[in-house]
Amino acid sequence: MTEHPNHETQIAIEGFEQVDSLVSGVTVYAPKSKPQEGEKSKVYDCPNCGATTAYDISVGGIACEHCGYISPVKSKTLGKIADEFEFTLETISQAERGWGTRRQGLHCHVCGAELSLPQGVISTSCPYCASNQVNLTTSLEEFIQPRFLIPFKITIEQTHQLSKTWLGKGWFHPDELTASSVMRRFSGIYLPFWTFDANVTAHWKAQIGYQKTVRHYNASQKRWETRTKIEWRWENGTVPINIDDHLVTGSSSQHISHKILERIYPYQMKDLTAYHPDYLAGWQAQAYETTLTDAWDTGKQAIREAAREACYQDIPTSHVRNFSMTADFADESWRYILLPVYLAAYKFQDKTYQIMVNGQTGLVAGQKPVAWWKIWLAIAALLLPGLILGLIGLPLLLIGGAGILPIGAGIILFGIGSVLSIMLYNKVRQSEAK
Amino acid sequence: MVQQVTPLKIIEEGQRLWDSDRQPAGCTHCHRTFLAPDSQIDSSCPLCRIGHLEPQALRINPSEPERVLPFRIKTEHLRSMYTQFTSGVWIKSEDFTIENLLQRTQKIFWPLWLVDSDVEGQWQMEAGFDYQVESSKEYFQDDQWRSRKIVENRIRWEPRLGGINYHVDNVPVPALEEHQNRQQMTGAYGLENAGPFHLDQSNNASIEAPDLPPADAWPLAKPQVNKKLSQVCTEAAGAQHSQNFSINGKYQNLNWTQFLLPMYTSYYKDDEGTPQILVINGETGEIQGPRLASQKRGWRFAAIIGGIAAVLLLLALLGFLISPIFPPASILAVFSGIFGFTAGIGALLPAIWPSQWNRKNQSPVIIKRD
Repeated sequence: MTEHPNHETQIAIEGFEQVDSLVSGVTVYAPKSKPQEGEKSKVYDCPNCGATTAYDISVGGIACEHCGYISPVKSKTLGKIADEFEFTLETISQAERGWGTRRQGLHCHVCGAELSLPQGVISTSCPYCASNQVNLTTSLEEFIQPRFLIPFKITIEQTHQLSKTWLGKGWFHPDELTASSVMRRFSGIYLPFWTFDANVTAHWKAQIGYQKTVRHYNASQKRWETRTKIEWRWENGTVPINIDDHLVTGSSSQHISHKILERIYPYQMKDLTAYHPDYLAGWQAQAYETTLTDAWDTGKQAIREAAREACYQDIPTSHVRNFSMTADFADESWRYILLPVYLAAYKFQDKTYQIMVNGQTGLVAGQKPVAWWKIWLAIAALLLPGLILGLIGLPLLLIGGAGILPIGAGIILFGIGSVLSIMLYNKVRQSEAK
Repeated sequence: MVQQVTPLKIIEEGQRLWDSDRQPAGCTHCHRTFLAPDSQIDSSCPLCRIGHLEPQALRINPSEPERVLPFRIKTEHLRSMYTQFTSGVWIKSEDFTIENLLQRTQKIFWPLWLVDSDVEGQWQMEAGFDYQVESSKEYFQDDQWRSRKIVENRIRWEPRLGGINYHVDNVPVPALEEHQNRQQMTGAYGLENAGPFHLDQSNNASIEAPDLPPADAWPLAKPQVNKKLSQVCTEAAGAQHSQNFSINGKYQNLNWTQFLLPMYTSYYKDDEGTPQILVINGETGEIQGPRLASQKRGWRFAAIIGGIAAVLLLLALLGFLISPIFPPASILAVFSGIFGFTAGIGALLPAIWPSQWNRKNQSPVIIKRD
């Protein structure tokens, strides 16, 4: 086949753009690629009065506090139909970069957090460690751009109310800790998350034990008796598992508690919206620190454990030995999304505590400082009755033997007190735990 | 839109072509037409083996064929092929012998059109791009997880469209009305092994003339041209696959030349004396044609064996009759009876087998044209 020497046919098709052709005489048009939003800068100034504008939850769009200007965000709620991406190196390398609007990076020299802040903010408290020792850095352009987010639904006022209620719960916190001191430090932040989908087919094989009652003749007792016996049989099975939107945080555990974060799950993915820079105007947003591959490794570990659990549930008895299984992953896909969280970090007696509020559902979780003197007092109150009864019973026992009852009651009360003390201790430790 | 260039001219009876002794000839029985050398005029038709070739006027492209696929199977290879072909046919007709097949073998070149065209227009398709995704298989044994990465190949389909101004060269398309049957008989050819035509390559071979004129062949040619264009557009788009290709264009400067494909034919006569044609692909050696068992000979065998059985049974009867006066005759009677009965049953086999074989071994046959 030879090429024709004539000029190439020129055509113009809407939605398509000419791309390189590898054969002379043939022109090729491909769908227009999406504009690289990361390269565009956008400054959030009010077109009416020139003041700085920001995303306002109550109006669901960009609003100006000064003149009342409102501009709704031009973005669609996609829910679970939001695009998912396959695990190809090509997809990752071609993923759009940047944040789509002019934002500036913030590096906290205390906890090492990388934050992205609206332009114009010169300094702020790090939401993770409450440190004011911060320096601005260049934008984090090497990151994949998030494609979807769930906008904030809970206002800062609602957050104050929710956190006040939450902080008010529990008697073992310091009286000096007032809700207002925390509330002043709440800031809304979009945290990075990876979501993963996969179809897993798990094949298991194990020896399953079935209890069986057998009758046998006891020669020494000269009678028939029954005993239970376990009969072991090799069995296998297949369990299909569908993993839908398995969440893995993209934040490093160095400056954000994953345990607390998991306690404000779940997020309702039906509110997933196409990413638009307007949502981030006036709000903080954190770029991911855990890469896609690292996050997938974490997600995969959790998914395969879920598969193992499903296999055990498939086994009809609790007697299992020599268990082995394979988990075949198929149709794996991922999304990079931003989820709304209110964070508060505060210092109490030189210790930093975090509180998080789910910006979509209002669920609150966090650390509360503990007034240890109250705890020790409570533990003492729990142990003392048993101890006192024991002390009373001991001389009575020496005198005439009537002390056995108080000693017995004392031991029981002491035991109960000890168990309750341990439970209380664990609970308050958890309250403080990161 | 198609701009036809008709290359056909009438060649008069007895007129020679290509500075050789080849002249147009037709079969008196099947009416297939050939460009036959003088030596084959008045000889039997190489395809139907019933009629004979007579000079006749023909409307044909008078220029030499453009390309030819040479015979890779030599005549000395044919004996082993025929031996293999005839093996398994237990009761053959007397004419169905390897020697007869060898003696009656003839070389034929049969034609395809090669179409060239300038194409100008707009095309669109779904272009398929290969890519790889990473998956994994996790193993749990002895309280430990092991992971194995698996790479899967997938195709990403994307719309592509554009313009084309291209010259398509040598697209092979049918030149015979019975092309489909012919291809079924010969099997596939490796067209990429073809070379330019030289007259001396066709010595002793009949050249079958096209009976499908370009105007009638164009509806068959267009999809082939478009298939070639889809390959060009796929390459232009840097894709590896394509689907749903369509083109809206002008096909101009159509040029029709011939492409010759090699085959052998031979035949044997069945019970009724009708020639059964065998076709051998001259490139691959694939052989097709009816492998008929002879029912007539089957009956004859059955009659002979049946006759022997009847004699043996008669002997047995005789033996039983004389056994009261001559007791040893009973032994002869028993053996004669057993052998006679066995032979009687065995006589059924040659009577039934040919029809069963012929029913089970049906193969494509060359179209018979009367």
